[in-house]
Amino acid sequence: MAPTRTRRVRLAVASGAAMAVLAPIAWFWQDSLLPDAYSAMEHGYADTGGGHAVHSGHGRDVTTLTADPGRPADVSVRLTARRERFRLASGRAVDGYTLNGTSPGPTIRATVGQLVEVRLANENVADGVTLHWHGVDVPNAADGVAGVTQDAVAAGREHTYRFVADRAGTFWYHSHQVSHEQVAKGLFGALLVDPAPSAAADVDVVALTHLYPGARTIGGREGDVPVEAAPGARARVRIVNTDNGPTQAWVAGAEFRVVAIDGADVNAPTPVRDLAVPVTSGGRADLAVTMPADGAPVRIHIGGPTGIVLGQRTHTITPLPRPAATLDPLGYGSPAPLGFDPTAATRRFRYDIGRRPGFLDGRPGYWWTVNGHAYPDLPMFTVAEGDVVRMRISNHSGEVHPMHLHGHHFVVLARDGKPATGSPWWVDSLNVADGEEYDVAFVADNPGIWMDHCHNLPHAAEGLVVHLTYVNVTTPFRIGGTAANEPE
Amino acid sequence: MRMFYRILAYILAAEVVVQAGAMALAIAGLGTWVDDGGVFDSAVMQSDELAFPEVVGIIVHGINGSIVVPVIALVFLVFSFFARVPGGVKWAAAVFGLVLVQVTLGFIGHGIPFAGGLHGMNALALFAAALHAARRARVTTSADTAAPASVAAPV
Repeated sequence: MAPTRTRRVRLAVASGAAMAVLAPIAWFWQDSLLPDAYSAMEHGYADTGGGHAVHSGHGRDVTTLTADPGRPADVSVRLTARRERFRLASGRAVDGYTLNGTSPGPTIRATVGQLVEVRLANENVADGVTLHWHGVDVPNAADGVAGVTQDAVAAGREHTYRFVADRAGTFWYHSHQVSHEQVAKGLFGALLVDPAPSAAADVDVVALTHLYPGARTIGGREGDVPVEAAPGARARVRIVNTDNGPTQAWVAGAEFRVVAIDGADVNAPTPVRDLAVPVTSGGRADLAVTMPADGAPVRIHIGGPTGIVLGQRTHTITPLPRPAATLDPLGYGSPAPLGFDPTAATRRFRYDIGRRPGFLDGRPGYWWTVNGHAYPDLPMFTVAEGDVVRMRISNHSGEVHPMHLHGHHFVVLARDGKPATGSPWWVDSLNVADGEEYDVAFVADNPGIWMDHCHNLPHAAEGLVVHLTYVNVTTPFRIGGTAANEPE
Repeated sequence: MRMFYRILAYILAAEVVVQAGAMALAIAGLGTWVDDGGVFDSAVMQSDELAFPEVVGIIVHGINGSIVVPVIALVFLVFSFFARVPGGVKWAAAVFGLVLVQVTLGFIGHGIPFAGGLHGMNALALFAAALHAARRARVTTSADTAAPASVAAPV
């Protein structure tokens, strides 16, 4: 009897120990499972940043936050999305997505103040598509986020976007449905807004840098892209980083100025040389050069393998290794009034990015956190219209994050406690390296529910997504559900 | 049970070998790809793209290291409670702990390269601990035949 009892006790102790190890894991696993459909409004917790969370009466639906519906469009575009095998400008065949049969899609050009109307038709993309106007502070209904501001446009369906091009500059558009897949494989294009009256450069080049499956490209072309530019001509090269990691641009053969960042003009940009210009994922940088009088070409290096070569008689120029020094927008250009007082902030938020092991919708891994919480238990930054908002974005996650706020531009006040001394540095996509801390500010002037997420799109798909929401704004759309909305 | 304990310990030791080989393969592939004109930068690193075939080594290392090895180590720890290998729970716990340290160092290494160096060194500690655990299970098998029948009976 005694040996049997010993055996039973042993078995019980072993089973208890096994339960003690496995039960917490099982609990964390089931706790992480996401429902089939849920609203961006109902997961996580409200963070009011020290302000009031006034919910009075019934809310405004995001679908009512539109451009003036009675105003006729100044620029009308029809874009048809297709999943297909197509050829890049370089001739390489890619299995991906096109808009009107090409990738990148057509460049849309408008003048500031014009109303842009884009009819998006989905011909055959099974997952559905949307278009997000990256960097344009559109009305919320036109923001193009599946499950938050609209349902994904199913194959055979259409959706119309209407917005006023509120500021001149370089922007881009891309799908915000299953974006980590659709953007990588081609569902994007450029959107340029010209100032009025036009102060156009002699040569104006869009450089959409993109890694397609198997091909590093600028606008679908591989290697050096030659562009005609006469001696003495003023050229503007608009770099748009459509990839998931930050890139660098630098110039061989001339000095240059960074005249705009993320669609906002730099105030009094000074000529520089031997500096690399960082362009984060989703970000833009407009470089201006004056062509040498002697007819020598100029190469704009973008990332490692690609570049724009400006010239007339010859486009042959020795490649220049990347300069060790980097242009720091924090001290570039001259100060100018911001148009608001960031010291009079009415809301203050912390956006602290970390990483920890755990489960995301049942999948084990090492997942991103915001303020110590993992998706979907993330803060919902809550503001009221007119608030002056300050945010401290810090990163302790071990990897760089290009942070993109929809619907607003924000100004960088300081990095790691060092105040900005140059031109107001307005961005919609901010490169936050591991260990960095940025103080930024903006005015809450565009009601809606806005994503504030990492533009390394696989990171967003891994849950590095929070929302900025205005009190009393609601959405009828749901993530998941019958429309299979999957914004990332 | 004891045999399973031993097999799992050997599998964990073998996984360390696979992990080391996978990384060496990827780095060698990267070298030849760059020599052939490939450019490795953030755009490539952050994409899902297989820039060169040996990238598969990084993928194997990532999936193996973040999911497969921790799961095997967890199963090993749970088995150790039932296996009745003298010191077996202690060594299984040590292996499990070293796996946790290894995974943590691996992720920290993305931001702090020095942690990546420790990750390489800790791999050898994990390899040694897993081998030692396996050998303990073998040694005690012969001693086990002399033990009372009730102890040797299958659980």
